[in-house]
Amino acid sequence: MEIRIRGLTRDYFSEGKRIRALDNVDLTIPANRIFTLLGPSGCGKTTLLRCIVGLETPDAGEIAIGDEIVWSTEKGIFVPPEKRGLGMVFQTYAIWPHMTVFENVAFPLKCRNMPMEEIRIRVARFLEFVQLDGFENRPATKLSGGQQQRVALARALVAEPKVILFDEPLSNLDAKLREETRKELRRFLAGLNITAVYVTHDRVEALALSDLIAIMRAGRIVEVGDPKQIYFRSGDRFVADFIGRANLIKGKVAALEGSHAVIETDVGAIVGLNPRGIEPGTEAMLCVRPEFIRTEATGVAGGRNLFRGKIETLLFIGEAYEGEIRIGDTLVTTTISPTVDVVEGGDIFLSFDTDHCFLLPA
Amino acid sequence: MARKSALTPALIVIVGFLTISPVVMLVAGSFSEGFGAFHGFTTAKYVEAYTDPELSAILLDTSIFTLGSAAVATLLALFLAYVNTRTDIPFKFFFGIISIIPMMIPHILFSVSWVLLLNPSNGILNRYLMGLFGLKEALFNIYSLPGMILVEGLLDLPIAYLIIAPAMSAFDVSLEESSRACGASAMRTLTRVTLPVLRPAILASAILVIVKSLASFAVPSVIGTPGRIYVLATHIYRIIATGFSPDYGKAAAVGMSALVASILLVYLYRYLTSESDRYVTISSRGFKPALIDLKGAKYPLLGVIGLLSFVLIVLPVLVLLYTSMLPYIMVPDAKALSLMSWKNWGEVLRDPISLLALKNSLMLGLVGATLGVILSIFVSYAIVKVRTAASGILESLSFLSFSFPGIVIGVGFMWFFVRTPLYATIWALLIGYIAAYLPYGIRPLSSAFVQIHSHLEESSRVCGAGPFTTLRRIVIPLLIPGIVSGWILMASMFLRELTLSVVLSRPGTEVLAVQILRFAEDGLWGRLSALGIIMIFISSALVAAASLLGKALTKW
Repeated sequence: MEIRIRGLTRDYFSEGKRIRALDNVDLTIPANRIFTLLGPSGCGKTTLLRCIVGLETPDAGEIAIGDEIVWSTEKGIFVPPEKRGLGMVFQTYAIWPHMTVFENVAFPLKCRNMPMEEIRIRVARFLEFVQLDGFENRPATKLSGGQQQRVALARALVAEPKVILFDEPLSNLDAKLREETRKELRRFLAGLNITAVYVTHDRVEALALSDLIAIMRAGRIVEVGDPKQIYFRSGDRFVADFIGRANLIKGKVAALEGSHAVIETDVGAIVGLNPRGIEPGTEAMLCVRPEFIRTEATGVAGGRNLFRGKIETLLFIGEAYEGEIRIGDTLVTTTISPTVDVVEGGDIFLSFDTDHCFLLPA
Repeated sequence: MARKSALTPALIVIVGFLTISPVVMLVAGSFSEGFGAFHGFTTAKYVEAYTDPELSAILLDTSIFTLGSAAVATLLALFLAYVNTRTDIPFKFFFGIISIIPMMIPHILFSVSWVLLLNPSNGILNRYLMGLFGLKEALFNIYSLPGMILVEGLLDLPIAYLIIAPAMSAFDVSLEESSRACGASAMRTLTRVTLPVLRPAILASAILVIVKSLASFAVPSVIGTPGRIYVLATHIYRIIATGFSPDYGKAAAVGMSALVASILLVYLYRYLTSESDRYVTISSRGFKPALIDLKGAKYPLLGVIGLLSFVLIVLPVLVLLYTSMLPYIMVPDAKALSLMSWKNWGEVLRDPISLLALKNSLMLGLVGATLGVILSIFVSYAIVKVRTAASGILESLSFLSFSFPGIVIGVGFMWFFVRTPLYATIWALLIGYIAAYLPYGIRPLSSAFVQIHSHLEESSRVCGAGPFTTLRRIVIPLLIPGIVSGWILMASMFLRELTLSVVLSRPGTEVLAVQILRFAEDGLWGRLSALGIIMIFISSALVAAASLLGKALTKW
């Protein structure tokens, strides 16, 4: 089901100060996709999610889930969370400690007055789906973090909602388990016809899981796009920097070359993608990700996108070196293959991949 | 929202009334001419109270008694906690038992059982030892300061243990190991590393025991008074309960110093426990100190622990049971056996005052604990869940009565009730009990509320349950353990309540512990023991019933 949000605003009062958690948010979440709200803590992503679920009431705006308006300040509509027919996985999992695994998962069905026989079949099916068959009679608190998380998922899915919401569900797992669960979750969700709204502050999680990502900052949606679009062709400086490591080099567009453009910078003239069609003569910013800078120990400066720099710092991190290279007044971060023979203070040649660096508005 | 914001102020008024009014009345009373009349401000009562030639001896004995009890309880607790957390001693459940006995045996009965064993004229153990060694005089005299200190120290051991044991188990052993590695001897490590790191917990335990023993009435009245050793609590009691005209003004004036001392000590305790955060040495989780292998010392040490458990739990009940069957105190032998009968039980069960006391105490326990828990639910909810600026005030108010010595607050309530129709009714006792023991209900309930993360309620709503279903299926089942333990604590406190009751109980509103005290004063040990056993039995039955009910309710 599609979720449409119009002009949503929500203010908080904290220590006498008004904080705008959501600032006139307009957003359409398409049906049957995994949609992630990504942003730094305090950007309003959890508040937005809680408004969709109905656990928080906005100050203004309208929310529609499918054809039903569940919140509208103008029309005075408020559908309470239990009537919205959603599923949700909480950050703390919110497994009820006084119930067994079966009772936890059966709860949404009992609330819908389903006959006991049917409940039993349905719960068994979903426990099997999350690979917890045989755990029915365990007290829910006796499970590990990862297992509790799957109980929470089964409970959110069991009533077969059209929309499921996740509030940072992986943040309480340790790093290794988090990676595994991420993959599993992707697999689970891919097999269902369901709209998933996922909140996280972890960019890797967002990239790995989502069909679409919305980046939020200070109560506003900054950009929406699929992971590759956001990573490679973002039109916003904050987004480009937030979604991955980035060198942002200021300059002025000199000429257009089809889908590419030449930008005149302190480093020199650089050719990069120009997805936003920035006109020559305008100030712009070039984004180069460290992964897409090739380094060579020798070479001749002056070729296309090839520059000579001096290694300021060099950090060995196992799979690569992490280097800071000074070209004139500009400091460029890059990863250097550990097979390249480099020393701190030495010279190095950098070459920017023309198809993997891009221009964005300054 | 409007209802929520009105809740906290309303509770502040109720709790404030319960905790502050007796103190205000105490202060007012201490400056008043006569009982029940506030006109005529006078300092005469203070002059009278503090120029009393006996007072300096009383204050000295009070100091020795409280400090001694603190030392006994804390040292024993240190020993037990060390053995439990740091050695491989078997049967570690003993330590759990030792830490919950105050639930089982009322202080007055514990004191009486020691009198029965060790009083100089016919104490069972004394008599036995005299016979054994052919002595002319009793070996021990419980009616002495050391006797009082021993009994009070044992009674307060659980409090000390509950403070010291967690500190001991949180102690990072690598601090000791690094000291040894630096070349310090075991003794030096103990005195320069272990004890200094544990110092905040040790001090906190000692201070709390001092507060408890300052407020203690059972031990000083049952053991101290026959030996003519008076402490502040029994001194106050003497002023209002014996002699021709009880002088509530003078009692209030004396009580003020106990109250002030107690509040200062609790303040110090709070300061120390907040200070002790600096000493937190818990290292990363999963850290388990290596246990000391006791080898040959294991069984002797186990014997000591077993003996302590026996003395604390089994012996008092045994002695009371035995005495309840006999016409007078005697050493167990063939003659004693032949004299055994149910006569005392029959007399108690026919004694109208004992029966009235039984009825009153039961009513106070059941109704009082229920009302107390209901109030505690609201107060805890306001403190934990509503969390407005006023919640802090409510929290401080509701824990204030921890620092009030019972008998002093009883005098304050007396000054209050005498001007109301509640005077000399059972409701006066009920209100006093709830006021004095409110923290016992609030503590388990607020921790129950803390455990109910808002996500647990929210996820129920998202799952399709309305607010009412959420309350019934999620919130209440999760609260039940807190409700049950709060109810059990309050009911068993109310059933045995002595210190407030000796002041507030009047003819017609006798309660069990006061009736037991009367029997003790009259030396009616047989009836006392019978009534005491009945009291223990009722108390245990209530605890069992409440836990069963709680279990049944969580399943439902």
